[in-house]
Amino acid sequence: MSQPETDKQPAPEQLRIGVFICHCGLNIAGTVDIKELVEYSKTIPDVVYVKENRYTCADPGQEEIRKGIRDYKLNRVVVAACSPRMHEATFRRTVSEAGLNPFLFEMANIREFSSWCHPSTPKEATERAKDAIKMAVAKARLLMPLQTIEVPVTNKALVIGGGIAGMNAALDLAEMGFKVYLLEKSESIGGHMAALDKTFPTLDCSICIEGPKMVDVGRHPNIQIIANADLIKVDGYVGNFKVKIRRNPRYVMADKCTGCGECKDVCPIEFPNEWDLNLGTRKAISVPFDQAVPLIYTINKDYCIECYKCVDACGAREAINFEQKPEEIDIEVGAIIVATGYDVYLPYDMPLLGYGKYLNVITSMEFERLILAAGPTGGKVIRQSDGQKPHSVAFIQCVGSRDKNKYPYCSNYCCMYTLKHVVQLKEKYKEDIEVYVFYMDMRSPGKGYEEFYDRAREKGVNFIRGRVSRIDEDPKTHNLILHSEDENLGVPIEVEAEMVVLATASIPKKGSDELARILNLTRGADGFFMESHPKLKPLDAPTDGIFFAGACQGLKDIPYSVSQGSGAASRAATVISKPTWKIEPIVSVIDESKCRNVTVKCGICADKCPYQAIKIEPNKPAQVITASCHGCGTCVAECPQDAITQMHFTDAQILAQIRAALEKDPEDKILAFLCNWCSYAGADLAGTSRFEYPPSIRAIRVMCSGRVDRDFILEALRLGAGMVLVAACHLPYDCHYISGNYKMKARTDALKGMLEKLGMSPERFRVEYVSAAEGVHYAELIREIDAQMHALGKEKIKAENAKLKPVIENMLKRKKQ
Amino acid sequence: MPLKTVKKDTADTLTLEWILHVKNYKLALDKARCAGCQICSLACPKEAIKVEKQPKAQGEKAKKAKVDIDLAKCNFCGICDVTCPYGAIKLTLNGNHDLSVLAKESYPELVRDIKVDTRQCPKDCDDCAEACPLDLITVSKVGFGGKPVTNMEALTPSERSRVQINLAIQKEYCPTCRVCEYKCAPGVIKVHKFMEGKISIDQAKCPEGCTDCLDVCPITGALYLVDGKVHVNELFCDYCGACKVVCPVDEALTLKRTRILHTPVHSGTWNKALERLTSPVDAVKELKATGSKKAREAVCKRFVFEEVIR
Repeated sequence: MSQPETDKQPAPEQLRIGVFICHCGLNIAGTVDIKELVEYSKTIPDVVYVKENRYTCADPGQEEIRKGIRDYKLNRVVVAACSPRMHEATFRRTVSEAGLNPFLFEMANIREFSSWCHPSTPKEATERAKDAIKMAVAKARLLMPLQTIEVPVTNKALVIGGGIAGMNAALDLAEMGFKVYLLEKSESIGGHMAALDKTFPTLDCSICIEGPKMVDVGRHPNIQIIANADLIKVDGYVGNFKVKIRRNPRYVMADKCTGCGECKDVCPIEFPNEWDLNLGTRKAISVPFDQAVPLIYTINKDYCIECYKCVDACGAREAINFEQKPEEIDIEVGAIIVATGYDVYLPYDMPLLGYGKYLNVITSMEFERLILAAGPTGGKVIRQSDGQKPHSVAFIQCVGSRDKNKYPYCSNYCCMYTLKHVVQLKEKYKEDIEVYVFYMDMRSPGKGYEEFYDRAREKGVNFIRGRVSRIDEDPKTHNLILHSEDENLGVPIEVEAEMVVLATASIPKKGSDELARILNLTRGADGFFMESHPKLKPLDAPTDGIFFAGACQGLKDIPYSVSQGSGAASRAATVISKPTWKIEPIVSVIDESKCRNVTVKCGICADKCPYQAIKIEPNKPAQVITASCHGCGTCVAECPQDAITQMHFTDAQILAQIRAALEKDPEDKILAFLCNWCSYAGADLAGTSRFEYPPSIRAIRVMCSGRVDRDFILEALRLGAGMVLVAACHLPYDCHYISGNYKMKARTDALKGMLEKLGMSPERFRVEYVSAAEGVHYAELIREIDAQMHALGKEKIKAENAKLKPVIENMLKRKKQ
Repeated sequence: MPLKTVKKDTADTLTLEWILHVKNYKLALDKARCAGCQICSLACPKEAIKVEKQPKAQGEKAKKAKVDIDLAKCNFCGICDVTCPYGAIKLTLNGNHDLSVLAKESYPELVRDIKVDTRQCPKDCDDCAEACPLDLITVSKVGFGGKPVTNMEALTPSERSRVQINLAIQKEYCPTCRVCEYKCAPGVIKVHKFMEGKISIDQAKCPEGCTDCLDVCPITGALYLVDGKVHVNELFCDYCGACKVVCPVDEALTLKRTRILHTPVHSGTWNKALERLTSPVDAVKELKATGSKKAREAVCKRFVFEEVIR
């Protein structure tokens, strides 16, 4: 792995900066005085060539840049045009085609940040554009050539969880030709789907459609199933994960067991079958269900009495080994797909519904096992109290879900499976059964779902809109009396039913916290894993090389889980199909001579890093795991010794931008630090939408608000800035770098308090949150800040600054030592 | 509803239950029949049964030890049911007394070998019924006409000679103590003890005036007092070990079981239970006798292993 080189100072050769100014047709030239910009640019020190273009991004415009580099021996290029979010990549390619390092290029945004947002004040717009070019040149002077980092990639993948989503991900990857390890915690793959009877809305048998898929997974030469195993540890980074797995003993040798089941027949011991939700039993040596894959029997030592009858029955096959020990497996993979699924909530803590107390109150998942032909009752829906078929069944929706006191979210598929249950009951028992459904809202968005709802209504099911407040049991008959309100009639009602089925919430899988710790994933407030971006990266974990499929990221039904599995497979393939993985070199680099962890216990950087990309060992300088570093720069801002540098966003570069921005009339200016992913994009949107706001703002782009060092704000105030703004992604989950905005908030809160104590007006330093969609909000915000600046008045600001200056100078002096 | 487990402890019975939607496993311990011996706890393959000695109040008789079953460990296999000499534990599945360990030959049945030749019974004798310390024998007399006879005195000698004597023994509760055999006119009842062994009291160590063992012994006459000291009548002892559990002095009472009479079986569970009920040496003897080489080796291995640890 090539490290970005830190010791390479700006080339000793003389700086030769070329500035290319774009008209963008009339988009820029229509407002900004291009001639003036050209003349001004020529006056900036180190600028040796200035060129205007009608369209710089078009081929002739790009050719001008290449020509300029060749003819004028330019060693830095500044393009003043649109937003870098638009064409930075284009121009980087252009300069590298001319033989210049792509990181010796800088952009000045004079379209979204000038011409488009200040159309009625062309003079000020031109001034702002001039400053933008000056700032870009100031940064360009300090740019260093950087090399893109490449790491080798292991062309294998690990899928965690063998439910329908994980199986699909594994199959797709295997079909693409990659080796896939499929890790499953329980004895068999299949997940929840294998326990279901029918699937909505087509009512086709669940195991009949999933079974063949399970067999395909089991037989695929590229898939290795590691079942009955736990994930212990994951080290490494994208393309190079080292995974430790512990396979728990089955006491049956996988390679010798033929799955004949003769051992099961002679086994005398039965225990409650978790697969059947403890409605029925299984033998101490058995498979959880007949279609299990891999078809290997397992001895449950908790219940086995070791009579060795199974050993006799197995005979010459000798598959049974009571001495089997847990086995540790080490594998290396390039990408990981997390498909751990969900659990079902058991409402023991809702005493008014009587689950666990009344025999005839069951959950939907239990009902599923009752109505399943292969289930413990052979498909007969019977009551536990008397073993008889009920003549009336009441279904209660949203038990635990959509409940502020339990799980506030909607569990997504309960409405549909309840509709399935009622249709099944009605079709099986016809007039012999009365069915009630108590619901809040019937949610049936999906292909054929609404039609299925109609089908249930046509069957004569009683749909009652209302929440059941209490269930009582008739002690003699064990019938249940439900107390509710019929919202449509507006009257309280009582319904007597012989059986009650609760559609309980689906909840995050047990052990999700442990998995989150091992893989460094984040979980939302609801406990499900957080994706990198809710809209555009729904399958990506914030950690590169890790992807999500299925309900572990948010509850979803079977077709959606299947498509997510395939989606995650294709996302994983983008990593493991390459021989190497490229990493933007804007990573953090530690100056080992400055790191104080050598002498004292520090580790602040490792603590603040959202990606655990910094390794700390006692009495050694901190180490950045370059491949794990995402380049947010939070550690750089946090380091008390200034020992860390973020490449391409160095302290010196940003300070140079600040100084350039505040060279003239600083008291009239708003200095803003915008994070690349939300606030800068929001500001771009304000421009694109032509929302006009005052041109007093000078904006500096950082990758993450976490990069905004205290020193930057102090330096801005030292130079006399009128207002300072830090704009970030919204709390709590919008940050592109997981938690950079939080780190920035903690830092600036403290600074703010201090500055106010020193006599600064509180409105002069603001921390705001602007999302990429909030162009209006951004424009309003700048208007508001500008108004505040004028309200304070230049004289007051000057006076405050004069008071602040000695203190800040003192603070910055101490820092610089 | 997920597995509901129930444990109820009343004055008469200790009940453990697994209530599943379609199955109901129930294990009931009849406290009146339980002698507080430790046979069940030794036989249990899951070590779920504990036998706790009860505190004795001053001046009172010793109480028999209390049997407690751990619901978390119990797997309702019914081995305790099979092994209990007094038939105090009963396992039922949905109310039926079906034991799958017996059906699958994973555990042997104890052989309660009791033969009665009622033809030789004296017509007006019910000594056996009176002698049985557990009241398990009922003697019924049927006259020639098939009617039950209540008063023998009223019968003529010829009627009397035609009276048929029936002996009903509740075998499942019988510890085969042989008391009835000895109290009976010789040859009518033949009882074969299912447990053989050796019991002795070291009179030097046995504390003067203590009758704890005698208090708890369920078999009248197996232990008796002579000059304030307890003596053993091995003829009647069923080697259950209830006395051993309550004995306050170590090594005052030695009890060893050497053989257990059971139906033939080939089972690891039984081999281990036998080892605990008797001793590794005696278990090997049985295995040698049955010629089960593999199992014998397993026991030898464990026995040697224990030796090494010591």
